[in-house]
Amino acid sequence: MLHAVSNCQDNRPMVPEQPDGSDLHPIPTSAAPGSTALCQARTFAAPGLRAAIALQMVRTVLRLAFTGLSAIFVGGMITGDANLPLLGAALATLILVSTIGLLTDRAVANTELKVANGLLGTARSALAAAQSRDIQAMPLGTLIAGLQRYPQAVASLAVGHRLASVMLGLGPLVAAAAIMAVSWQAALVLVVLTPVMIVFFILIGRAIRIGAEAQEKAFGRLAAQFADRIRALPTILGNHALPRESRKLATRMDAYTSGTMSVLRVAFLNAGIIDLFASLSIAILAVFLGLGHLKLMSVPGFAGLQLWQSLFILMIAPEYFAPFRRYAEQYHAKSEGFAAATALDTLVLAARPQFADFEAAILTRELLGEASLLPRTGLVAITGASGSGKSTLLRHVAGLRSALPDQTERDQPGIAWCSTEIYVPEGTLGDAIGWEAGPCSRTRLFLAAGSVGLLDDALLPGGIDASIKAGGENLSGGQRVRIGLARALLSGRDIFADEPTAKLDPANAAMVRRALADAAQTRLVLVATHDRALAMLAGNTIDVGWHNRQAQEKVA
Amino acid sequence: MKDNVSSIVNLPQASIRQTAPWRLALVFAFAALAGGILLTSVSVWLLGAVALAGMTPAALTFSFQMPAAFIRLFALTRTAAKYGERVVGHRAALTDQNVRRSALFAAMAAAPSVCRASWQLGNQDRLADFLDDVEDVDYARLRVSLPSVTLCVALLLLLATTLWMTPLAGVAILILFAASAAAAVYLASRIEADQAALRLSRRHASRLLGAAMQAVVPLQGERRWDAMLGEPFGGYTDAQNRALMLRRRQALLDMLASCVAPCAMLSVLACAWLAGLRGAALLPPALLAFAWLAVGDSLQGASRILIAFVRAKAAKAALAKWPTAPDAPPRRYAQDRISTLSLDGLPRCAPDGRRIGRPLAAVFKAGRPTALHGPSGCGKTSLLKQIAGWLDAGDGRIAADGVGLRLEARRSMTCFCPHDATVLADTVRENLFAPNATDEELWAALNAVELEGRISAAGGLDSWLTQGELSLGEAQRLNLARAWLSDKPIVLLDEPTEHLDAEQGERILSILLHRLRQRIVILSSHEPCGMASGGLVFRHIAQG
Repeated sequence: MLHAVSNCQDNRPMVPEQPDGSDLHPIPTSAAPGSTALCQARTFAAPGLRAAIALQMVRTVLRLAFTGLSAIFVGGMITGDANLPLLGAALATLILVSTIGLLTDRAVANTELKVANGLLGTARSALAAAQSRDIQAMPLGTLIAGLQRYPQAVASLAVGHRLASVMLGLGPLVAAAAIMAVSWQAALVLVVLTPVMIVFFILIGRAIRIGAEAQEKAFGRLAAQFADRIRALPTILGNHALPRESRKLATRMDAYTSGTMSVLRVAFLNAGIIDLFASLSIAILAVFLGLGHLKLMSVPGFAGLQLWQSLFILMIAPEYFAPFRRYAEQYHAKSEGFAAATALDTLVLAARPQFADFEAAILTRELLGEASLLPRTGLVAITGASGSGKSTLLRHVAGLRSALPDQTERDQPGIAWCSTEIYVPEGTLGDAIGWEAGPCSRTRLFLAAGSVGLLDDALLPGGIDASIKAGGENLSGGQRVRIGLARALLSGRDIFADEPTAKLDPANAAMVRRALADAAQTRLVLVATHDRALAMLAGNTIDVGWHNRQAQEKVA
Repeated sequence: MKDNVSSIVNLPQASIRQTAPWRLALVFAFAALAGGILLTSVSVWLLGAVALAGMTPAALTFSFQMPAAFIRLFALTRTAAKYGERVVGHRAALTDQNVRRSALFAAMAAAPSVCRASWQLGNQDRLADFLDDVEDVDYARLRVSLPSVTLCVALLLLLATTLWMTPLAGVAILILFAASAAAAVYLASRIEADQAALRLSRRHASRLLGAAMQAVVPLQGERRWDAMLGEPFGGYTDAQNRALMLRRRQALLDMLASCVAPCAMLSVLACAWLAGLRGAALLPPALLAFAWLAVGDSLQGASRILIAFVRAKAAKAALAKWPTAPDAPPRRYAQDRISTLSLDGLPRCAPDGRRIGRPLAAVFKAGRPTALHGPSGCGKTSLLKQIAGWLDAGDGRIAADGVGLRLEARRSMTCFCPHDATVLADTVRENLFAPNATDEELWAALNAVELEGRISAAGGLDSWLTQGELSLGEAQRLNLARAWLSDKPIVLLDEPTEHLDAEQGERILSILLHRLRQRIVILSSHEPCGMASGGLVFRHIAQG
C-alpha cells in the first residue's frame, strides 16, 4: 500500500532515487537542519528498545523452561515415574511466559508509539518553520496520506524489526546453551547447520533483489495503475475512453501480477528454507536419538540418554530456529520502513529554500526601502502587472511585521489578511466571520457581512446563518475574499489584502472598495491589486513594475 | 427497475470466485498443518516407544525404519506444503484481486459522484484510504478465510480425539475454548470500535490540515500558522494513541492464543496420568499432547487473522458507501455535426442539486464559439456540465437542430474538458485519447498547443508521463490538445486559458477555435478582456 502512495507522489527532481534501502541518506539541496527520519526514530526508540529486548530475553528463557519442563515430565511419565509437581511448575511457567509476553508486546507497542509521535512532532516543527512558498509547493494529498502512514511504518522498522534482528543473534544462542546442558553434540549439530542456512539466505536474498529490480524495470510503472485510473476517472469519462481504459487496466494488472508472482515465489523460498531446516532438524535428531535408545548405534552424545533428555533436545530444537522465522516475517516491515523513512525525509524534513533567488530578484533594496515607510493609517496600494511580485512584497512586509520583537502586542496587534485563500471553518457564515475574533454580538456580525454584500448573496441562502461546508467547498473565490474582508473589518487590525476585487462582479467590487476606503481612515490598509479604481483611491502607491524596470535598466 | 442503487461489494460472485485455486490452496494448507502436527507428535511417540522398547529384549525386533521414514516424510510434507500454500494462495488472491478491481473500476465509473462537483478520489489522501479498503477486502480470503478454516478443522479434530481418549481433559479444553472464544469476541468488538474511532479522527485531522495548508499565506501573515497546526497534529497523535490501545488488545489476544494449546497439552497429560494409564498406554495421550503443542504454534497467528477480519468488515462497509447506478447500455449516436444547440428555459443547478439563478435560454451555433463569462461562483462550470450531460437537470430543455437531446445523447456527443484536468500515468499517445489518430495528427495537435518541444525532449509520443512531471500550464495545454483531437460535435472548455500566460493562451485558443470552427464550442472564463480572439460571442452569466 505504501508503494502505491509513494508511486503516486509527484516526482521531486532534486532527490535521486534510492533503489536499495541500505544506505539511504537523501541528498538535500542544502544542509539538512537535523538528521534523517530514520536516525531520529532510532533515537526515540533507544530507551524503550532496551527494555523490550530485556523482556524478550526473559520470555525466551521462560519459554525454553516451559518446553523443557514439559519434556522432562513426559519423559518421566512414560518411563514410569511421573513427577506431578513438575506439571505444576510447567503450568506456573506457562502463566509467567504469557504474562511476560503480554508485557513485552505492550513495551514494543509503547515504544513504537513514542517513535511515531516523535516523528509527527518533528514533522510539525518542520512545517511550522517552513516558508509559505515551500509549503505551497508540497503535494498536499500525498503529504496528508504520508503523515498517517509513514510514522507508524518507520516506528515498526526502528522497534519491531530491530528487536527481531537482535533476537536473531541471542535467541538461538540461548536455545543452543539449553541443549548443551544435556548433550553438546546435539547442540553442535544445530550450530553447524546454521551457516549452511545463512548461505542459502544470502543466495536467495540476492536472487530476490535481482528479481525485484527486474520487476521494477519491467513492471514498476504498472504498480499503481489502478489507483491512477481511479484518480483520473472524470477525465477518462469526459474523453469517452472508458472501454479502452478498462481493457488496458485488466491487461496491465495481469502483467503486474505475473511479475509480482515471480518475485514472490523466490521470496517464499526464504521462509521455506527456514521451514526445511527446522523440520529436517527434528527429523534427523529424532532418528539419531531413537537409534541411540535402541542401542543400535552408538553415536557419542546421542546414546545412553534418558527419555526425558531426548525429549528435551527434540522439543528445544524448533526453538532454535524460531527467531529466524520471526525475523523473516519482519521482511515486509523492513522494506516498508525504509521506503517510509525516505518519503518522510523528502516530503517534510529536508529544507527546501528553492525560491530565495526569485524573491531576491524582486525585492530590491529600493523596493524594500519604500515598503518600510508605511503610514499608520491610510490606504496604500501595491500595483504592477500580474506576476511582477506584488504578492511577494505583501508577504514580505507581513513577515517583517510579524518578526518585530518588542512591539508585538502593544502597538501592532497583528494584522488581518484578506485574500481568496483564507481559512474558513466549518459552520455558519457568522462563525466564519467571527473566527478568532473573540465574543461578538450578532449585530456586529450582521454589519460586517452587510458591508461587503454577503447578506444578499443568492448563492449563500440564509444570510448570517448560511452553512459553510468543511474546507469552504461551497464557497467561490469571491465569497471567500469578502468573508476575509468582513473578518478583517470586524477585528479592527491593519488589513493586508491580496487582490480583493479580482473575482468580484462590479457591484460587489464597488462595495468592497468603499469598505476598504472607510477602514483606511482608522488603520493601515495595504492592498496588492491591479484594479485601477482601487489604486486611485489609495493615498500612497508602490509600483512594483516600475521598480522591476529600474532594476533591469541598471543591469543593462 | 426494482433496485436502482446497489452496493459495489455485491459484485457478481460467479465471475470472482474461481474456486479451483482456492481448493488447491486449502489442500496445501491442510497438508502443511497435518505435516507439522504429525512431525512433532509422531517423533515423540517414536522416542517414547523406542525408550520403552529399549529397556526390554524386544529392542532388536523393533521396526524402526518405518516410523523414521514417516517422520522424514512429514518433515518434507510440511515444508513443501507450506511453500505451496503460500504460492498458490497468493496467486489465487492476486487473480481474484484483478477481477475484483476491474469490476470495481467499472462500478465506480458508473457512480453518479464522478460527474458531480469535485471527484473525491482525485485527492491523494482519500485515494490512499480507498486503496487500503480495497486491499483489505482483496486479501480477506487469503488472510482470514483460508487460515481460519484450516485452524478450525484442526482444532475440532483434536478436540474430538481428546474427548474420545481422555474425556475429562476434553471437557476442560472445551471450557477453555468457550472462555477464549467469548473473550475473543469481546476483544474483537472493542478492536472494531477502536478502528472506527481511529479512522474518524484521522479523517477529521486530515481535513483540518488540508484546509490549513491551503490557507498558509494568510495564516502566516496573521501569525496563526503554528497554532493552526496544533489541532490536526493533535488529531494524528490521538489516532496513534488509539492505535496503541488497539495493539494492547491485540497483545491480550496473543496471550490468550498462546496459552490455550499448552494448557490443553498439560491437561491431557495430567488426565492421562490420573486416569491410571501407565507405560505404553501413555504413548497415545503423549502423541495427542504434543499434537496440541504443534497446533499451538499455528494458533500464534490467530490475532492477525482476527484483525484482518475486522479490517475487512470495516472496509466492506466503507466501500458500500459508494452508490452505483446500474450500467446503462451504451448506445451509438451517429450525429457527426450539428448546427445549433438551443437551451430553452434550462433551470440552472449547483453541483449539489439546488437551483440557482434564473432559467437560461440560449442558442449556440456552429462556427460561432461562445464564451460564458462572469465572476467566479456564478455557475459557469455547472452550466457546462449540464450541457455535457454530467449534471442531470432539465432534460427536455436542450435540443440540437430542434431535436431534443437526452442525457446519454448529450454525453456521447460532447467533449468536455474540465479545468482541473488530470494527466494519466501512461504514454503521451494514450494521454491524448485519440486511438484512431495517426502520429502526424498527434504531433500536429501537440504543435498547436506548443508542447512539441517539451514532448520531444521527454522522449516522443511513447514516453511515459505522470501528473507530477508536467507543470500546471503544460497539463492545461495537454488538455487542449485532447480537445483539438476530439471529433465530437459539441466541445465544451472550462477555463481553457487558466495557468497560461495571456499571449500564449490567446494564440493557442485562436488556433483551437479555428480547428473547431465547424463544431459548437462553448467555453467559460472569468476574464473577458483576455480573449479578443476572432469571432467569440460573449455571454454574461449573472449571479442570479
